[in-house]
Amino acid sequence: MLLRIKAILASAVLALGFAAVPSVEAAKRLTVPDPDWTGGVVTCRTIQYVLENELGYKVKTVAIPGGPGVWEGIRAGDLFYNCETWPSYNPSKEKYLSEYGGDGSLVHLGDSGIIGETAYWVPRYVVEGDASRGIPPSAPDLNAFTDLNKYKHMFKSLESGDRGNLIGCPVAAWLCEDQERLDRIGVDFYAQALGSETAHWAEMLAKYKRGEPFIAYAWAPHWIHAALDLVEVKLPENEAWADDVTFKYANPELVKEHPEVVAVIKKHRLTNEQQAGMIYEIDVKKRDVDDVVEEWMEANEAIWRKWLP
Amino acid sequence: MSAVIDHQAQSSWLASLWHERRGWLISSGLLIVSLVVWKIHGAETIFPESWIESFPFAQKVDEFDAWMRPFVQPTTRAIAAGVVWFYELLVDFLTFTQWQVVFVILVLPAFAYGGLRLGLLGMVAVGSWLVLDFWDESMETLSLMSISILISIVIGVLLGIWASQSDRFEAIIKPILDTMQTLPAFVYLIPAFYLFGIGPPGAILATVIYALPPVVRLTNLGIRQVPAGIDEAATSFGATRAQSLIKVKIPLAMPSIKLGVNQTVMMALALVVLATFIGSPGLGDIVYQGLTRLNVGKALEGGLAIVLMAIILDRVTYAMGHSEHVSASQHDHVFRLFPQGLENVKPILYIEYGIDWIWRKIGALGNFVALIVTSAVCKVVALWNSDNADKLREIMLARSFLIASLVLIAVLMLLESYTDLYGKFPRDWEYSFRTPVNQYMDELVTDELFYSITQGIKEALWFGMINPLNTFFKGLPWWYTCLIFVAGAFLFSGRGLAIVALLGLLFIGATDLWLFGMITLSTVLVSVFICFVIGVPLGVLSAYSKTTDTIVKPILDTMQTMPVFVYLVPVVMLFQGGQVSAVIATVVYALPPIVRCTTLGIRELPEQINEVSSSFGASIAQTLIKVKIPMAIPAVMLGINQGIMMALAMEVVTPLIGGKGLGLIVFDGMNRASIGLSLQAGVGIVLLAIILDRMSQAWTKTQREAMGLN
Repeated sequence: MLLRIKAILASAVLALGFAAVPSVEAAKRLTVPDPDWTGGVVTCRTIQYVLENELGYKVKTVAIPGGPGVWEGIRAGDLFYNCETWPSYNPSKEKYLSEYGGDGSLVHLGDSGIIGETAYWVPRYVVEGDASRGIPPSAPDLNAFTDLNKYKHMFKSLESGDRGNLIGCPVAAWLCEDQERLDRIGVDFYAQALGSETAHWAEMLAKYKRGEPFIAYAWAPHWIHAALDLVEVKLPENEAWADDVTFKYANPELVKEHPEVVAVIKKHRLTNEQQAGMIYEIDVKKRDVDDVVEEWMEANEAIWRKWLP
Repeated sequence: MSAVIDHQAQSSWLASLWHERRGWLISSGLLIVSLVVWKIHGAETIFPESWIESFPFAQKVDEFDAWMRPFVQPTTRAIAAGVVWFYELLVDFLTFTQWQVVFVILVLPAFAYGGLRLGLLGMVAVGSWLVLDFWDESMETLSLMSISILISIVIGVLLGIWASQSDRFEAIIKPILDTMQTLPAFVYLIPAFYLFGIGPPGAILATVIYALPPVVRLTNLGIRQVPAGIDEAATSFGATRAQSLIKVKIPLAMPSIKLGVNQTVMMALALVVLATFIGSPGLGDIVYQGLTRLNVGKALEGGLAIVLMAIILDRVTYAMGHSEHVSASQHDHVFRLFPQGLENVKPILYIEYGIDWIWRKIGALGNFVALIVTSAVCKVVALWNSDNADKLREIMLARSFLIASLVLIAVLMLLESYTDLYGKFPRDWEYSFRTPVNQYMDELVTDELFYSITQGIKEALWFGMINPLNTFFKGLPWWYTCLIFVAGAFLFSGRGLAIVALLGLLFIGATDLWLFGMITLSTVLVSVFICFVIGVPLGVLSAYSKTTDTIVKPILDTMQTMPVFVYLVPVVMLFQGGQVSAVIATVVYALPPIVRCTTLGIRELPEQINEVSSSFGASIAQTLIKVKIPMAIPAVMLGINQGIMMALAMEVVTPLIGGKGLGLIVFDGMNRASIGLSLQAGVGIVLLAIILDRMSQAWTKTQREAMGLN
């Protein structure tokens, strides 16, 4: 009985499958990764909008966690391009991009225009207090990074013991060297790595909701700044992070096949302010990504007209 | 004179103490010695640098990986293309066909194998995907799972049959199966991207690797357990070895094979979320999106859909293995929808009667349709051969449910092609509970009483167990730890395991992962200990009280099938990230088998035990503590053994919320695109799993033998 059900179902599936598969122009179909952070999604969708509406391409997005998987997928030719790559978080760039000394199995396609700014941040209520929530300022004199020692008791956690706790860069492979930096500056803090971005933001969000003091690694543009009111704790000049000039790269074979698409990608630029505006709409106002991007594209036609080949 | 007697009495007292409490004495002695060694050593142990330098494992693996890829890629890509073609066919069918038709197709097998009750459960499960608005995602996951499961079963049964016929092959494949089950999938995800491509094929490969072992094991076991006499009888009637295998042994092994299939299905579903890491769509993506946007409610919705899929697939495959199909006409016992104890409530009784009545009427209608079809077909066949027509009639009437179902599906499909009868699933029927869940989460995070409780638990765990044990394990000299493990392996099991333990620990040390390995060990021990403290009383309670059991069982089912990623964010928000959270998440994951095995162990004890011990005047509590619990120890140990394995499996998930063991290195290797780095940590986990598993199994075996069981 089981065998028969299977046989009959399978033939039904086959018959219907053939009938249902839509016919598409293969040459105009592209597959690209969909980043797992809002900023990246926004950047990619602006490119996608132009490709689909102006050049008649059909772009299929694959939801995939950012990281080496995307690099391998593009290298193998399953995915075409990556539209916003953060250089600090990529040991892969030295491996595959010749600009960084790699084997050239991928091509660099210029900057994306987004400049990442990394720093350590505390909630505004730690320095200034928040009358509406009844939180007094717990560290009013916290102006620079070196002031932290004075307040280390306030920031301590179980794992940090007597030292203060810094919610540090979550992923070891990003090579942030939080602990080394703390030790060099002489700030008596323990850099806690939570292992994933998700845990990192969850920890910050929960502490913020409880009104607890914390100091955390974060970068901008990012939705966390739209959700939480954070102020930067200035690092000494020589210890501050370099700006992250984010860039685009693609598979060399596909670059040769689709010169039109590459022309758009190379000309495409988005500024931090433009991206942050859309992030705010999506993450704070909880609006749909596609609606927000479409609205912005319609309002800013002059900007993206310049991206056309 | 009296001094001599005294001396004798004393020595016999010591001897009896030694005899009765040998285990305790040895362990406490060992603990004292270890503490002394730890105190004298006084610092974190350092594995010899020169050994590490002379063992460049990760580097060699990376070199091999880079060298091998171009050679293998054409083959793997060809396989992947075939798999993708089939997958897309299935997905297109399921998502392009009207939902009403697919709904019926999916629900019918549940009715066919499990009768009314399972059928209704199937309707709830399939309906939930519609109601939660996850229809397309569910169909994608279902297709992915079906193909993975099908491939696993085909390969698994063949391998199992081969293993049952050849002792040498069995000896080769057993450690490979162990490795497949315990090697974290994150190790081979990155090469899978390159070799098999992004999306479904990579996910299917990972799922097959993980889900294959049970069906191989149980096929092998089932065939090997066929009594030798039956085989002899078959051969004495002139059957060849192959005939005896196909006609006699495999049919007799079917229940065991079906159990293997059932377990394979469950294992496959555990990887739904992982598939997302390879870029395949489906319910896992919903959970992942919820996770990255800290939308606990959304992740929970996705998780619930996965749980329901797991439960329905589990029940259906279980029913397939355990009962002949229940057709409407054979359905004659009283139908019960609600739990026992509610049969006296009138309204419920009427509802049950009502459903039962409708079911009977549908069944009668189905039988009628089947009868008509059968008669028509037989009339046509009878034109050629009336004997065959009679036979066919018999065969077809025995399968009236199937025939009626096929007629129903055919009618529905015809209606779909020629009418616009069906519409989309009504928006009003959709329901989403993510907003209330998120609001509740917000309240819980800011609730002061709850916060003080979580903080208390956290501090107790950190200062009371995790931190001391970490410091202790890290502080013991590496050679001392090796010695203890080797001695333990030798005492419990024998020389073979002792050699494995030595080589395993040296591997972990020589790849410069000793301290990470020790953290893994202490996390696993702490987690399993907490599971033991919570799980055993809960299991005992469930064994005695039906009410507790009814409440606990569905919770355990959910805990086991709910993707762990769903509760990572709540754990971080309530307990903050770090090693404490890692332990708590591990406990949630590893608790169910311990509770289950305890309940089972106590329930399965013979009834006479109660009578005998009460006739000696023991109270219920005394019987439980002095007689039943000691007798259930082997079962509890089995649960603990499974708990250890599950805790080790969690090692690769907890780094996402601040865990610090070997799993962290697996992720680090993945993020650096270095398979070598991932692999050495992954192999470290596998080795620890094998050592702990074999030791606890050997110990359980000696316990069972001491009690005269088996």
